[in-house]
Amino acid sequence: MAGREAALSSDSQAARGRRALFGAVRLFRWAALAWMVALAATVPGGFERPEVAWAAIGAAGAWSAWATVPNQERRAAALWFELALAFGLIVVSGYVAPEGAVTERPFFATAWPAAAVAAWGVARGPVAGAAAALPLGAALMLSRIVNGVAVDSLEATQVQAIANGTVMFILAGSAVGLVSRLLERSALEQHALLEETMRALERTTRLEERERLGRAIHDSVLQSLAMVHKRGRELAADGDVPPGQVAELAEMAAKQEAELRALIVREPEDDSPSGSVLLREEIERVARETGKVPVTVSSTGPTRVRAQLGEEIVAAVRQALENLARHADATRATVFVDAANDILSITVKDDGKGFVYDEEELRAAGKLGLLQSMKGRIEGLGGQMFVASSDRGTEVEFRVPL
Amino acid sequence: MTGSIRLMIADDHPVWRDGLRSDVERRGVAEVVAEASDGGEAIERARESMPEVILMDLNMPTVGGVEATRRITEESPHIKVLILSATGEEADVLEAVKAGASGYLLKSATGEELADAIGRARDGEPVFTPSLAGLVLNEFRRVATQERSPEPTLTPRENEVLVLVAKGYTYREIAERLFISVKTVQNHVQNILTKLQLRKRYELMRYAISKGLDRLPD
Repeated sequence: MAGREAALSSDSQAARGRRALFGAVRLFRWAALAWMVALAATVPGGFERPEVAWAAIGAAGAWSAWATVPNQERRAAALWFELALAFGLIVVSGYVAPEGAVTERPFFATAWPAAAVAAWGVARGPVAGAAAALPLGAALMLSRIVNGVAVDSLEATQVQAIANGTVMFILAGSAVGLVSRLLERSALEQHALLEETMRALERTTRLEERERLGRAIHDSVLQSLAMVHKRGRELAADGDVPPGQVAELAEMAAKQEAELRALIVREPEDDSPSGSVLLREEIERVARETGKVPVTVSSTGPTRVRAQLGEEIVAAVRQALENLARHADATRATVFVDAANDILSITVKDDGKGFVYDEEELRAAGKLGLLQSMKGRIEGLGGQMFVASSDRGTEVEFRVPL
Repeated sequence: MTGSIRLMIADDHPVWRDGLRSDVERRGVAEVVAEASDGGEAIERARESMPEVILMDLNMPTVGGVEATRRITEESPHIKVLILSATGEEADVLEAVKAGASGYLLKSATGEELADAIGRARDGEPVFTPSLAGLVLNEFRRVATQERSPEPTLTPRENEVLVLVAKGYTYREIAERLFISVKTVQNHVQNILTKLQLRKRYELMRYAISKGLDRLPD
């Protein structure tokens, strides 16, 4: 969606930069062609083979015209062809001149062939641009040979001229290529920046949406549900209607209310350090799930702990709540979460009928739930479990080092 | 329950107010003498109708529940304010209690618990639910770590009582466990609340001094 659009626009930005450079190369071709024609018309002493010279200039003109049609020059065949043309042109300039006349620089080679290396640079980057200059350097050498100058008799100034020409071509190809590459890179950077901004915007929108949703739920659904929950219980207490059904209704509403509330109270996920959980929230969830006996969760804070530790503790609390729901005949229970001085203490207290806590007896009776799911788990965390029970209720405490 | 208690309900949700009203009136606990749908209205109505107990929501438009509680209890200390809030508003609950509220109940409390709390509030007793006890415990611990704080701290006994309340023990159970009378437990709880509200004054004083507000202009 947004990412796709951004990607497209980055491509088109890079393409726009390259198009502008190709435009400059096109303009350069025509200017170089005009210069070449002017030189050819005024060459002192004329050409040895004027028809070949003008044919070569005509070929360069035809190519310049064809390459003016946009989007031709990028193709590999076009690049190679222009390079070959430039090569040929340089060699021909030696061939058409009077024997031994090419001393410094063949006139064809002055400017027009540079367009070929520039095109390589734009299309393929600085290295390709520099590489394309090398065959033209060879062509410069070849132009002397076809002009009738023996390689071993080249003067120092001539060698220097060939080297200068080659270096100029290399410079042209690599400089234009570098500009093209930089344009592309800045387009990519712009694209990355744009994408990041889009992501931030999306995130903000999501948070705002969440806040709006939270307000909406708080203002309507939650209040109504809380009322259904309350009314339902009252109706059930009156007994005029089938109490079981109404109580069920109330239970349903209560669960819904709690779920919705948890939904809006939960922090945005990105803000919580990974691998940790809010213990109170987790225990509140378990307290709702075990149902039947109303459970109050109190705590000295939200209590953030490692996810693994939280999981184990929550499992132990779940077992404790299930036990008391099944056996204790309690009317209510409280879970107190207290973290102080590097000790995490969780108390599960009910007002039920109590039981005799005797490990030997429990083991003998095969009631391993209490021992394994609670005591074993907590001791596995390096903690301890304490049980105090009377006919007024039971208190189970888990103490775990943090 | 001695007679009908003059009750006011401050909550911005009419459905919730209706439900509460029918609930307390059906139980014969209280007579709803006024209703308010925001904090500002609550302050005015409290002045006009002089309720004995106010059930106060925290999340209200214009003036919030915390500020309304502060203004009402300052103006009329004999009016008892009970905070009735949803979960996830713990920080505000603590502020409201510091500002003068007598107690705090979750909106999910049963009608019976609510009736009991209203009665106790009218009798001048703090309504310390386990959830509130947990919050208060944390609040005292937080400042106890600051060295040589002039603010009141809890005695070991008060601390003990507070932990037991947080664990869900009733005053009777606490009395039996600590071999003291229920009245003594109530006194401890009252003292804890007074200290908490006193801390608020210290906080304000410290703030004033830090801003140089204690020096009067010549």
